[in-house]
Amino acid sequence: MRRKFHRRAMLRGMLAGAGAVTIGLPLLDAFLDNSGKAMANGERLPPRFGLFFFGNGVHPERWVPVGEGETWSLSEQLEPLRGLESEFSVISGMEVKTPNDIPHGSGEAGILSGASLIIEGEHNTFRAPSIDQIIANEIGQTTRFKSIEFGAQARGGSSYNGPDSRNPPETSPFALYERVFGAGFRAPGEDGEVDPRIALRRSVLDAVMEDTKKLKGEVGANDRRRLDQHFTSIRELELRLARLEEDPPSRAACMRPDEVPMMDYPDIDGRPQLTEKNRAMCDIMAMALACDQTRVFSNFITAPVNNLLFQGAMAGHHQLTHDEPGEQPQVHAIVLQLMEEVAYMLETLRAVPEGDATLLDNCGVLITTDVSYGRTHSLDEFPILIAGSAGGKLRKGYHYRSQNKENASKVHVTMMRALGINAEGFGVDEGFTPDSLGALEV
Amino acid sequence: MPSSATAGKIARIMVAFCLLGVVGSAACRESEPPAAPDTKAAISAAEHEPAPANLMRLTQAQYSNSIHDILGDDIVVPSRLEPDIRAGDFIALGAGKTTISARGAELYEQAAYDIAEQTLEKHSDAFVPCEPGSLSDAAKTEECAGEFVDLLGPRIWRRPLSSTERERLIAISTSSANTLGDFEQGLVFALAAMLQSPNFLFRAEVGLEESGTEPRALDDWEMASKLSYVLWNTTPDRALLDAASRGELTDDEGLTAQIDRMLEDERARHGLRAFFSDLYQLERLDGLTKAPELFEHISEEVGPSAREETLRTIEHLVFDMRGDWRDIMTTRETFINRKMASIYNVRAPAREGFAMATHPPDTPRQGLLGMTSILALYAHPVSTSPTLRGMFVRTKLLCQPIPAPPAGVDTSIPEPSGTAPTLRARIAEHLEEPTCAGCHNQMDPIGLGLEHFDGLGRFRSRDNGVEIDASGTLDGVEFEDLSSLAVAIREHDRFGVCLTRKYYQYATGQELPEGPEPELVVAISDHFAASDFDVLEMMRAVLSSRGFRTVAAPATQHSQSEADAAKEEVE
Repeated sequence: MRRKFHRRAMLRGMLAGAGAVTIGLPLLDAFLDNSGKAMANGERLPPRFGLFFFGNGVHPERWVPVGEGETWSLSEQLEPLRGLESEFSVISGMEVKTPNDIPHGSGEAGILSGASLIIEGEHNTFRAPSIDQIIANEIGQTTRFKSIEFGAQARGGSSYNGPDSRNPPETSPFALYERVFGAGFRAPGEDGEVDPRIALRRSVLDAVMEDTKKLKGEVGANDRRRLDQHFTSIRELELRLARLEEDPPSRAACMRPDEVPMMDYPDIDGRPQLTEKNRAMCDIMAMALACDQTRVFSNFITAPVNNLLFQGAMAGHHQLTHDEPGEQPQVHAIVLQLMEEVAYMLETLRAVPEGDATLLDNCGVLITTDVSYGRTHSLDEFPILIAGSAGGKLRKGYHYRSQNKENASKVHVTMMRALGINAEGFGVDEGFTPDSLGALEV
Repeated sequence: MPSSATAGKIARIMVAFCLLGVVGSAACRESEPPAAPDTKAAISAAEHEPAPANLMRLTQAQYSNSIHDILGDDIVVPSRLEPDIRAGDFIALGAGKTTISARGAELYEQAAYDIAEQTLEKHSDAFVPCEPGSLSDAAKTEECAGEFVDLLGPRIWRRPLSSTERERLIAISTSSANTLGDFEQGLVFALAAMLQSPNFLFRAEVGLEESGTEPRALDDWEMASKLSYVLWNTTPDRALLDAASRGELTDDEGLTAQIDRMLEDERARHGLRAFFSDLYQLERLDGLTKAPELFEHISEEVGPSAREETLRTIEHLVFDMRGDWRDIMTTRETFINRKMASIYNVRAPAREGFAMATHPPDTPRQGLLGMTSILALYAHPVSTSPTLRGMFVRTKLLCQPIPAPPAGVDTSIPEPSGTAPTLRARIAEHLEEPTCAGCHNQMDPIGLGLEHFDGLGRFRSRDNGVEIDASGTLDGVEFEDLSSLAVAIREHDRFGVCLTRKYYQYATGQELPEGPEPELVVAISDHFAASDFDVLEMMRAVLSSRGFRTVAAPATQHSQSEADAAKEEVE
């Protein structure tokens, strides 16, 4: 089934970046100082942010661990994370404070943007940017990609710049590979002439920006905002091209992935190959971070309200959360499958050394979903994990149990501050808080 | 109005003959379907709230169709572009809200170079009208690049270019050619610039500022694009742009002539398909998920085949028959291939491809609600869903909004039990819950009328071993099963006005509020009824109405929150 990719097609056309490529030596660990936290020249290894977002919630009573603080043990639904206990913290008892107007949609907007949904008839959209974009605007401006969104079965994704402005996730491992490591990418030490076409493409983008400016003058206020986004997108693309003309970032762990993923992952028995696709994409993502192509990623593995047929399940996920009787063994099995994927992602990040620490150490990863208990769309006892330590700033291996349904937005404030972002708070109206969770700060 | 109805029938028969080439062209011209003058006058007199000034992004299909029409059918258009979003009922309305993400800009850039390279490889004969000679002859190279820009620029941007725009594209071409030492490579960059421009990717409908009146009339170029993308789902052809340059599209007679011409073009059939596919969300059939252990017929072929069945049947009714739209509910004629024939358990009408088949009169299967497209899409992967199917009828066929379910309630349906073996019985237990009953009583009884068709649309007489009872009532009209349910929907007083409302929104890009229909929609709907529910006549009325031809002046001021958000985005 593996369809090999044609080298010719990759190099074909305008998008071929480097010309004659000569292979040099990769940056060695010797360039890092002894702690591995910083480059020898004093530049600190950057903290990165990741989001793992899945649809349809959990079973809170089987999710929340027994014990608190530093003495706790994995719950039934966190069992797949065994062996990683020291790499993440569980935050339980929090509540999404924004109004629960639309099942799934309100929770999705509440946990990711801290704001209520804009509801216009049958059409909904986020009111405020999602956490990944708020963070990307702060820590993503110097890399080739400000952020990368992907997800094996993601649909439209939940990364928003603002109302009706989404960042669609990549759903194909092959396309994700091409985007980051295809034509134009150079690993550290790979030398090569810069293709003159890159500069020409940039001047074409300048012309496109002129067209956008002119059109802006003709339309109404709302449409100007949409064209502003187009303008920003073009400018970011221009920056990406400019970075291809520069020398690649020096990172010891950076290697071009040696295997190009499959073009297609056909369904098996009518079920998508969720695991295979997700793992291929996590592998690529880890290397994109290691090569400093981006510092912000979002894995929207499955979408809110998704009705996917999981391997082994007898009905779609969403339907099962509502209609499966009793203890919902099939829903439980799906949650376990999703946690297996969390474990894979964390292990993959941990496997990349960065000096004497790991890539995972230098990440702050938020793992959550759109509702707490899928059957009732509840927003209290919200399932939240944070993994990695954002370069030593987040406490790991801890169970923070809120006693009084604290605002879930406190997690985001904690995360942003750990990443070195001087945030005044997170959220809008009921969802807003200026406070972080001190217990999780180092 | 029996006499006018009879005249309408005769006219439609004539048109059918005309399309079949049975009668001569003179007779055909005289047999234009008559529209009762009083309904036309009512449309002219009707009040309407103008659509807001709009900026529509080309949908993926529109992008691809436009490239094929302008640059050649043999151009392979990359399938990965900024995704469409659906707003309310339509992707076509989402196009007025969505923007272009960072990822989208990248995809459009890749597509632009890919398409531009193919164009120069395959069609330089057609689009490079001159010999530039040596690159060192700057004047001649520029002149030749200018001819290229003049040929393609106005087609791609659907309007004449300003001299600044023209010069800018020529400059891109010459500087790229000089850098790369190849004249045609310069043209590739100029073409890629046209294709990435918002002047191609968006179409603005802001009206003529100098008209000074409220609402503003759209100008000729805006009208050409709007007509074309609404009616054909693709870019204007040369004839339409020529008509625009002559000012004919802002003139009643000129507009009517163009609408008539466009409706006779093959592309109008594609446009009609695009409308119904968007309305019923048939694009989702590409990802149809059904558990193969329960549905042995399921394969990747099913979704697209089911969609084709529905669209062909609609196209046949509307264009070939000029039939009564309401017959879509009750017609036993359909167009199927072998795959669909096996699902319906009837003989395949053709060895290959699609052909007309007729469902026998002794089965309930008929019309739109007897098709796998609707029955399978509005169901679960393992079972039927009376709620989703009932909701389809309420919201798509009758335009009766159903509120979203409240969050924070347990919505589970009880499992089959001794006392409640069938889905009907289980739902009845469920509906004892008063918070659910209010809305579900609007939907579930209709959906239960379709229980003879499983989650893939296969006929069955039993559910869990018990004989299916598909009876119920729809707004006071009793039905036994789909045979009488289809008639009840056909005769429902919302059925005709609902299609009018949907098409009006699709065509104008205006989202109508819930509640009483706007006067203009009612007037067009009356005209639709007076034409014996001739869909083309309804479309004509919408496209020539002021609702289609005017927009409100664009809002000039940001609200404070918008200004803040806009600032944030630019930051």
